[in-house]
Amino acid sequence: MYKQSIILFGIVLPLVVVIAVLAASAYFRSGITTSFAEKTQHYTGHERSRIAALEIEARVKGQREISEGWQETLSKQTTSLVTTNLREITEKLPPKEFQQTSFPEPLDQPSGFGGVSAQKSSGLKFRFRGTYRTVQRAFLELETRMPNLQLQELKIDPMTNSESSLLNFQVVYSAWEN
Amino acid sequence: MNTLVHPASLNPFQQYRQACSLLRGTSRARLPAWYQNALELDFQIHIRHDGATDRAYFYNRSKDEWSEAPLISEATLSDDDAASAYALQILKHVRSLKGTSLGVVLHIADEFATAELNPDLDNPADLKDLRETAFNNPEEILDDSSVPADQASWRVLPYPAAGSDVIGTTISLSRRLEHFVAAIRKVGDEKNFPIITHTLSAPLVSMSGLHSVIRKDSGKPAVAILQYPWFTVIAFFNEHLDLRLVRTLQHRGTPRPLNFRHALSTTNASLEFLEPDFYVVPLAEKVDLKIPEDLKRTFPDSHVQTVSFPVPASVPEWAPEVILSLEPAPQETEPLSHTFGALRDEKWFLQDFLPPGKEEIELFPSRNEMRILRLFKLGRVALFAAAILCIGWFALSVYSMTSKVEWKFNPEDGKAVQQRLVKLTLERQRLDHWNSLLEDRSKAWTSMETLARLFPAESDILVKSFNHTVKPDNTRGQAKIAFVKEWMITGFVREDGLDYLNTMNSREGISKQFAEISKATGNLAFDPSPTTRTLVINVKTQENSSFRQMLAEDMVDSDESTYPYKFNLTITQRFESTDPFAAPAGKAP
Repeated sequence: MYKQSIILFGIVLPLVVVIAVLAASAYFRSGITTSFAEKTQHYTGHERSRIAALEIEARVKGQREISEGWQETLSKQTTSLVTTNLREITEKLPPKEFQQTSFPEPLDQPSGFGGVSAQKSSGLKFRFRGTYRTVQRAFLELETRMPNLQLQELKIDPMTNSESSLLNFQVVYSAWEN
Repeated sequence: MNTLVHPASLNPFQQYRQACSLLRGTSRARLPAWYQNALELDFQIHIRHDGATDRAYFYNRSKDEWSEAPLISEATLSDDDAASAYALQILKHVRSLKGTSLGVVLHIADEFATAELNPDLDNPADLKDLRETAFNNPEEILDDSSVPADQASWRVLPYPAAGSDVIGTTISLSRRLEHFVAAIRKVGDEKNFPIITHTLSAPLVSMSGLHSVIRKDSGKPAVAILQYPWFTVIAFFNEHLDLRLVRTLQHRGTPRPLNFRHALSTTNASLEFLEPDFYVVPLAEKVDLKIPEDLKRTFPDSHVQTVSFPVPASVPEWAPEVILSLEPAPQETEPLSHTFGALRDEKWFLQDFLPPGKEEIELFPSRNEMRILRLFKLGRVALFAAAILCIGWFALSVYSMTSKVEWKFNPEDGKAVQQRLVKLTLERQRLDHWNSLLEDRSKAWTSMETLARLFPAESDILVKSFNHTVKPDNTRGQAKIAFVKEWMITGFVREDGLDYLNTMNSREGISKQFAEISKATGNLAFDPSPTTRTLVINVKTQENSSFRQMLAEDMVDSDESTYPYKFNLTITQRFESTDPFAAPAGKAP
């Protein structure tokens, strides 16, 4: 007569209780695991961000100072800066070998790269007369001082009716601006 | 232990609690003796009550040794307190022998009654069911329905002989000594010591031992006359020694039944027994010793023998039941007959006439229930241990997770780093953007250097015009701007210079020139190796109409008329949008 109650309370009920407790524990652990996975994801993301930030910081650190210098240049009005630089360059070159025949003329609208890029730019055109190598030196100096100048067009023609070694130069630049 | 309540009166939980209480508080789960037959136990007390004398014998099964037991009297059998005191006395003795159980076997030799079975029950195959029915509902199997069945304990005894008119008979004993065995068992329950009782009918037990005293080879029927103080039992066996009939004759105050001779003769006649062998078995201290002589006179052609069973010295010859009841019977050699052996094997002679009542049995869990209760207890321990281990593992894993730095990390703390990363990424993108914008993709001085290197002095070539353009290609929708650089050079060339132009006028020729220029100027825009670039040269020559033939020493390099040919050279360098030098189409971030 005891058999059913023994089975019920002796094993079935404890089994149910244990299963319930284990299920609750498993559910709780599952919740913790899920939460932990989320936190791990956040933490991993944070660590990745931190390391990435360190890497980027190390990378941009050396460029930042240089960039700041260039940004200062880029923020200035291009035509006047070219004019200023050309004046300084001209002063260092033999006058007979390098003559600026026209001041930098800003173009009406951006052309070349400036015409297709969303980056702000301006176009300018100017002419020289001079010997080949001296003018090349002048270009080298100018383009070194102003790397934002992108050559769009360069024409070199000999002077008409002249047997001198001077050549006519016409140049069109697109200048990136900040 | 608290007073036990019949489980039918309890709810399931109370039943379980009571069962657990019995598991904890008793030795029922530990000692199998609680559920064994008294005759199987190591220590047994055999009490023989024949109405004239009461004797008790102690049996040590492991030593197969009989000894005198504490004296017992009629008063002990009839008084519960005396019975309990007696039980305690023998319990003490058994404990002194380190016994763990005791069987109390009561041999009732002061009464023996038979009653006919219902003649409708004539199927020998139903005997096992009849045995159960006699125990539970005796009125269903009795022929005489007027017999008050509930006032006695009924058992069936089969007549296995072929040709018997009936399949058996019923044996009944009164319930007079039921309180005695109950009192004995109660002591066992109270002392948590298995005391198992078994009440036997002494004549039946004696019949079970007849094989050792009856001649098996006479070929005649046999009649066993069992002499008890208050009655005589006569067992009739056919010539095959199969039991045919059992009769009882009450003495009614005389040493022998008054109608003994007549009953014997008529029964022999009815059974058609001719000159049967008679075996007289005295089974009391004082019996009528003249019966054998009378039988010899009455049945002169029959074999008449007074027999006795072999017994140990401590047991009197007239009380052989205590020996014969042992299982297995130590003196057994060969059964009287096949059917008689079957009766013995199926323990028809050893039926318990006063077993514990149904309610008393149901009060305690059965052996199987105690087993599963114990098993479940161990199972629960294992289950809980496994559960604790599991929970421990859960807890450990939870602790392991919560103690890690990831768990303690607050996402709010990461925002600053995230913001810094965004800021730095933006800065890097801006720097990359400007680095890309400021690439030396088209510079005037390198173009001039190109011209100088393509046409060195004294190369028999006179360059008249140079036009270099840089134009973005159609790159709508692209992140980077493809572009085309073009050099258009015109001039004059002599014969020797033509070879040079022809050398240059191939992809390999111009690529070689550009590679040298790239190396010399450090301007990678001239590097022809990237697959994202193509370099094409086209040279056209034609005769110079103004050419004038003259001596070599008269020729001046700047004089166009000294050159027999004109040339028109075009170099086209195309940069795809995937080229590192392609300009960004977007605005600086």
